[in-house]
Amino acid sequence: MMDPIILAEAAEALNVNAIGAGLAVMGGAFGIGKIGASAVEAIARQPEANGQISTAMIISAALIEGATMFGLVICMIA
Amino acid sequence: MIHSLKIGIVASSDPLAHVVQHEFITIGGFVITNHMIMILLAAVLMIAGFIYIARQKTMVPTGIKNFLEMLLVYIRTDVVRPVLGKDTDRFIKYLWTVFFFILTLNLLGMVPIDGILYLVTGGGVDLESQHRAFGGTATANIWMTGALAIISFFMIQFNGIREQGMGPYVKNFIPHVPLPLVPMMYILEIVGALVKPFALAIRLFANMMAGHAVMGAMIGLIMVSNSYAVGGVSVVGCALFSILELFVAFLQAYIFTFLTTLFIGAAMHPDH
Repeated sequence: MMDPIILAEAAEALNVNAIGAGLAVMGGAFGIGKIGASAVEAIARQPEANGQISTAMIISAALIEGATMFGLVICMIA
Repeated sequence: MIHSLKIGIVASSDPLAHVVQHEFITIGGFVITNHMIMILLAAVLMIAGFIYIARQKTMVPTGIKNFLEMLLVYIRTDVVRPVLGKDTDRFIKYLWTVFFFILTLNLLGMVPIDGILYLVTGGGVDLESQHRAFGGTATANIWMTGALAIISFFMIQFNGIREQGMGPYVKNFIPHVPLPLVPMMYILEIVGALVKPFALAIRLFANMMAGHAVMGAMIGLIMVSNSYAVGGVSVVGCALFSILELFVAFLQAYIFTFLTTLFIGAAMHPDH
């Protein structure tokens, strides 16, 4: 039977902040990976639209990275 | 062997110590921190730099003037004009200022001013061991990015109200929904209007702080591991990471400017 005190000590020893940061980065990396994949596929279909597709890809990646950073900041300060 | 090398630049193994503010001097009861000095330095550099390129005698710029003019023209032609159209000239002053201010602060943060002072004076000026600092990344400070975001928020709301008038602005704040949903839509839109500048501030702050904290952690690994191999790999890794940080400096300034432009355009001409 898991004693709540033992659970609390385990959570403290595990440094749950770092696990939260890892999960946040995992979500962000997954999203940016999908953007990269579809951007490269779109460039392969129509190489003339290279500039516009690259610009849209960079902007979307920066926005998703912003959301990832929210999670990272919360993990860092708490 | 490693402990005999006086490395005044890496005095602490706490990576966040290089990112937070430190006092530089205290005048009276007022503490002047390194971020305040960096903001002043960025302002002076921007004023001096742009007055210099504005006074060019030829139509064809050269050298540093060419580079700055390239950035200026890119921002106006490819970022602001497609969104704002005929209102470009009204807002381009603020948007240019925001872009170059954030860019200058980010790039000044990449220059290790304290380290250069230490090396040039042969260890005479050792600010690190006194827990003072002269250089740093001012945009890695939530208050600085928050201030920029608050100014953007007021730019967005004031210009939206000024363009449409108070009545039409409040009416066009929400898309057209059936009457029972209107209070909820107002709450959602007001929260959205507050969250968007907050996101601008957090995005810039977290990107800059995380970048410098990672570099601080990589250098701190050398101190913790006490081995030359780790030191070599760490320094090479930091150099490559710095290249990424330079790209992120430009990208974050561009994103802040681009999103502010979008929000100003959406507030002035809502397409609901």
